[in-house]
Amino acid sequence: MKTLLRNGRILDPSLELDEIGSVLIENDQVIEIGKIEDLSDIDEVYDCTGFWITPGLVDMHVHLREPGDEHKETIISGTQAAAAGGYTTICCMPNTNPPLDNPAIVDFILDRAASPEAGGVFVAPVGALTKGLKGEELSNLAAMKRAGIVAASDEGFPIQNSQIMNRAMVFCNQIGLPILAHCDDSNLSKGGSMNEGAVSAMLGLKGIPRTSEEIATMRNCLLSLHTGCPVHIMRVSTWGAVEIIRLIKSLGAPVTCEICPMHFVFTEDDIGEFDTKFKMQPPLRTKVDVELLLQGLQDGTIDCIASDHSPHASHEVDVPFDEAPFGASTIEATLGATLTYLTHSGILSPLETVRKLSTMPAEILNLDGGTLKPEGLPVAQVTVIDPDIEWTFDRNKSFSKSKNTPFHKMKLKGKAVLTFSGSEIYRDALFPAERYAIYI
Amino acid sequence: MPNDEIVGLLDLATEFKAKIIAGEDVPSMKKTVIGLLFFENSTRTRVSFEQAAFYLGMRSSNFATSASSMNKGETLKDTILTLRHERINGLVMRHKASGAPMLAAKHFGGPVLNAGDGQHEHPTQALADALTILERKTSLVGLNVSIVGDVVHSRVARSNAWLLDKLGANVRLVGPRTLLPPHPSMLPGEFCDELEEGISGADVIICLRLQKERMAEGMISSIGEYSSLYQINAETLRFANPGCLVMHPGPINRGVEIDDVTADGDSSVINQQVENGVFVRMAAFYWCFGGQQS
Repeated sequence: MKTLLRNGRILDPSLELDEIGSVLIENDQVIEIGKIEDLSDIDEVYDCTGFWITPGLVDMHVHLREPGDEHKETIISGTQAAAAGGYTTICCMPNTNPPLDNPAIVDFILDRAASPEAGGVFVAPVGALTKGLKGEELSNLAAMKRAGIVAASDEGFPIQNSQIMNRAMVFCNQIGLPILAHCDDSNLSKGGSMNEGAVSAMLGLKGIPRTSEEIATMRNCLLSLHTGCPVHIMRVSTWGAVEIIRLIKSLGAPVTCEICPMHFVFTEDDIGEFDTKFKMQPPLRTKVDVELLLQGLQDGTIDCIASDHSPHASHEVDVPFDEAPFGASTIEATLGATLTYLTHSGILSPLETVRKLSTMPAEILNLDGGTLKPEGLPVAQVTVIDPDIEWTFDRNKSFSKSKNTPFHKMKLKGKAVLTFSGSEIYRDALFPAERYAIYI
Repeated sequence: MPNDEIVGLLDLATEFKAKIIAGEDVPSMKKTVIGLLFFENSTRTRVSFEQAAFYLGMRSSNFATSASSMNKGETLKDTILTLRHERINGLVMRHKASGAPMLAAKHFGGPVLNAGDGQHEHPTQALADALTILERKTSLVGLNVSIVGDVVHSRVARSNAWLLDKLGANVRLVGPRTLLPPHPSMLPGEFCDELEEGISGADVIICLRLQKERMAEGMISSIGEYSSLYQINAETLRFANPGCLVMHPGPINRGVEIDDVTADGDSSVINQQVENGVFVRMAAFYWCFGGQQS
């Protein structure tokens, strides 16, 4: 079987490639990229004129909710949503029930993700750094690494005890496991449900101060500097955190970081009168933060973009703001939001956009992917993006089980129209039928 | 709510008050059934709403949360939908979560009166306070009103600041910095952390209740220190204007935010606030139901 993605704009940051050309896939592998003249014995052709052909997108931060919270999302629905969002590899977070803190659960997740009903994307699990996400004793990290975890994190239950975090970094550095750190000093943020500021003062909601994020960011950065352990700071939301990361990078610490689209698209003002679909962790901040986050994206301080896809059932969010859980369903809107708010507005070039959505996350976690390079990948991971198509996000058409999303009804410009993992795993209704031809 | 509607509401409360005291008839809304949903303990506000409903001939139904199905894990949304389909005409709701009445209103589809939500708002208390001031000062325009105490945790402070500012008063919010909102810009009024300066030239002082748990949270060092810095008493009242009214939404911690002598003294209008609470709640009911059954 030979598949040709013909005449698109090939954007591959791993090869520093930005040129018009074609990509040839044979037996699930990319075998050639560039000007492909010989069209004999091609079985199918996708005409990609005007579209981008990029390495499959890589999402470092996804909650699949299985096992335990299958009413919010399952591995099957979550991977289908990922494929529709243009992703070919996603990392799933350990705050499942029970938590992902032992090899048996790693096996379970990998099995489910490989089942034929699943979306066809690679799932790379992130193990709990401490047993039960309690922040007390380290999990059996080496055993979980053998089972297939690609990083360790206590995610939304960040380790408060600096000594435990210090030892975790020393050990993870020894076994070559990066740490993903959600940064929050819980004594400062306790009971808070939105950014501490003018809006929280008005709404009478307890605030989450920026200091709770920044103090923990600084601590984790310093521990990385001194232990040498690669640490990836999750979902940066304040200008202060960007400054801290810029500083620690300049000192040579192996620190990287991500931003989630909610934090550059929305601000605390969007909460309006207690709209729970804007309840995020860390909280949506201010216009000034967004401005400086964009600067951090532009100068490379912020390495990549992750969805922080955090699905919840509708009944769980139709409650008073204080009582609602943090997070929303975002994986199907992340590419569109990034193209709309960063690429089309000139903050990021197309090549930098793809770098932050694919090549960098793969590099940070040593994942297969993030490249179109013919040799070296187990199977071809390719996404075709129509960068200019205007569409409206409709939660009722989403694959995610969760319909709780701040992107509902938003007009976006740009969308993944084809996703390949070996073969085609997703074709969007917006991909014109006449652009596809099959000769067998 | 536009100013003329607020003034209309206060005028209506005044009219109801005069009629009730004179033993005259007030409009009867006897076909209206109101549900009282107090998810948080309250005696004074609940009784005040009950009394207001009684005067208007309405029937009120109490949903004590300990006896209701909320204890069986029913969500707020389902409780509200149930009451809606039991054809309750309106709700009065108190809840510990800010914004809960907005959520209730979304599902209820009829009037929901906010009887205090979290640290957000307590609008009928502010109306009662405005009426109490107006009865004694004729106008709010240019009046200096100092709200003193635990501003950050107080829905009464927020509602009063918005309402009194809107009606033309100069509002000052006074308290230790740990008990003032960290970002004042969206609340009207000046912030002041010193009592003497905060109440100098005041025509009205509204004391707020100090919760004892603020000590455990590290917001104040001790009740004694708080009282020595922020208590309203004969000595500190000297900084205010002569004839300054002293108010308190209750319940009072005598000897903490206000001393005995002042609470019971000539300048205190605390009992009048309670009384006016009934009449503004009558006006609120009447306004919500458009007086359609009068």
